[in-house]
Amino acid sequence: MTNPSTITANAPAGERLRKAAVYGQSLLPPILSAVVVLGLWEAAVRTYSIPAYLLPAPSLVFEVLIDKFPMLMRQLGFTAMASAIGFFIALISGIAIGAAISAWHVFDRAIYPWLVISHAIPKVVIAPLFLVWFGFGMTSEVLFVVVFTFFPIIVNTVAGLKGADPEMLQMARSMSATPLKVLWKIKIPGALPTIFAGIKISATMAPVGAVIGEFVASNVGLGHVLIQAVGSLETPLAFAAVVVISIFGIIVWYAAEALERVSIPWHASQRISTTG
Amino acid sequence: MSATRSIAGANQRRDIVLDGVSKRYGTLHAYGPISFTVEDGTSVSIVGPSGCGKSTLLRTIAGLEPSTDGVARFAGQPITKPLENVGIVFQRDLLLDWRNALDNVLLPAEFRGTCDDATKERAARLLDQLGVGGFKQAYPWQLSGGMRQRVAIARSMVCHPAMLLLDEPFSALDALTRDQMNVLVQDVRQNENVTTILITHSIAEAVFLGDRVLVMSGRPGQILDDIAIPFPRPRRLSLREEPEFTEIVRRIRIHFERTGILVG
Repeated sequence: MTNPSTITANAPAGERLRKAAVYGQSLLPPILSAVVVLGLWEAAVRTYSIPAYLLPAPSLVFEVLIDKFPMLMRQLGFTAMASAIGFFIALISGIAIGAAISAWHVFDRAIYPWLVISHAIPKVVIAPLFLVWFGFGMTSEVLFVVVFTFFPIIVNTVAGLKGADPEMLQMARSMSATPLKVLWKIKIPGALPTIFAGIKISATMAPVGAVIGEFVASNVGLGHVLIQAVGSLETPLAFAAVVVISIFGIIVWYAAEALERVSIPWHASQRISTTG
Repeated sequence: MSATRSIAGANQRRDIVLDGVSKRYGTLHAYGPISFTVEDGTSVSIVGPSGCGKSTLLRTIAGLEPSTDGVARFAGQPITKPLENVGIVFQRDLLLDWRNALDNVLLPAEFRGTCDDATKERAARLLDQLGVGGFKQAYPWQLSGGMRQRVAIARSMVCHPAMLLLDEPFSALDALTRDQMNVLVQDVRQNENVTTILITHSIAEAVFLGDRVLVMSGRPGQILDDIAIPFPRPRRLSLREEPEFTEIVRRIRIHFERTGILVG
């Protein structure tokens, strides 16, 4: 057809172009569906003259978002801080409790039912109790985030550590490994992919927990903004706050994914990006 | 470790001696009673049918699975806990996905707290000898089955084991790779002069790699025959077509035919 050397020389550029095209194509459906949904929403509000306090048009929400942006960002700062502190407490205590459960059978039997019960209780219902127990402010909010997010971390840590390959452990025994070294060099690295699955779930739940905490026990943060806005029928502002919380949640998810990619590049779930 | 080696060497040979050893799990009689000696520096192959307890026997020798009767000794000492000075290669390579080839080889040295520069050099040299020197930084998932098993062999050798236990190490590999591995293992163990016990299903492999072949019966596994393999080393793969070789293979096969394990 053509000179083979020309093909080779052009291949990288062509390959890049092809990949960009594939990526673009994969972005098209979500963008298209968003345009359609927002367009229909906007059209419906205008056509039926729905009042803004009932359902604001996307364009109005956007307007408020721009107008109140500095305030929303300041309030997001409070929510983000409570989420982060609560999440890290949940992360560290969750991994520690998970490790203890997987290591000691008695501890497992003693504590696991309580964990399941604590998970089964609807958290939103107990949020006001936190106000009674820990007072109005950051402490209640942070502790609520902890309670809201620790379960997936514990469950995944236990699953990861208990899932260690028995043959691998036998091999370690044949190498005279101490239990601590087995934990450090085999069990924990092997459990990381599972633990990360829990981290990703918990990290995105943390801002939700913080917002619920702010509903009842705070006079700052996006949860507070939301409850105030709804109370005074400033529905466009409430929508703007929801948009900010959602975008923050998405950023947290991708941050957790990026951390996962850096931490466990060897895992099967991450290999496509390293080879392709 | 060299101190252990010289003391043991001076006082007595590091033979593996099994005396009436047998293993039961409740009513299930896995193997035995079995008695044999593997002399220091020699290579013994154990060939037997599936489920005859040969892998359990190997774990008993490694100190991972205590016997219910009889005594297994290494260098005169009864084996009651996992032996420190043993390298094991399992059927699965059991490489850690998060470590590259070199770091996988260094794992036993890290466990024992003996991972110094000399050990790292030795690990690199072993990988070179085994023909995977170019893949020291590669992760297990980037290696083929044969390459992974070579890394596992290097790992078993890195701490200068006094005893090398091979538990059907090549049964998951294709025939051609398996032949290559047979030659490689022969070379490595020759260089290291390490006492070796190989568990295998392959009669030809058992004969090729062993100074002796022990033939095991079905469960409960017992020794049916103990055959000395007279061929000098290093052996070439073409040896397997020699009449003397095929005669030994035939002798082993007849054992299996007689006991109904092989038919035809």
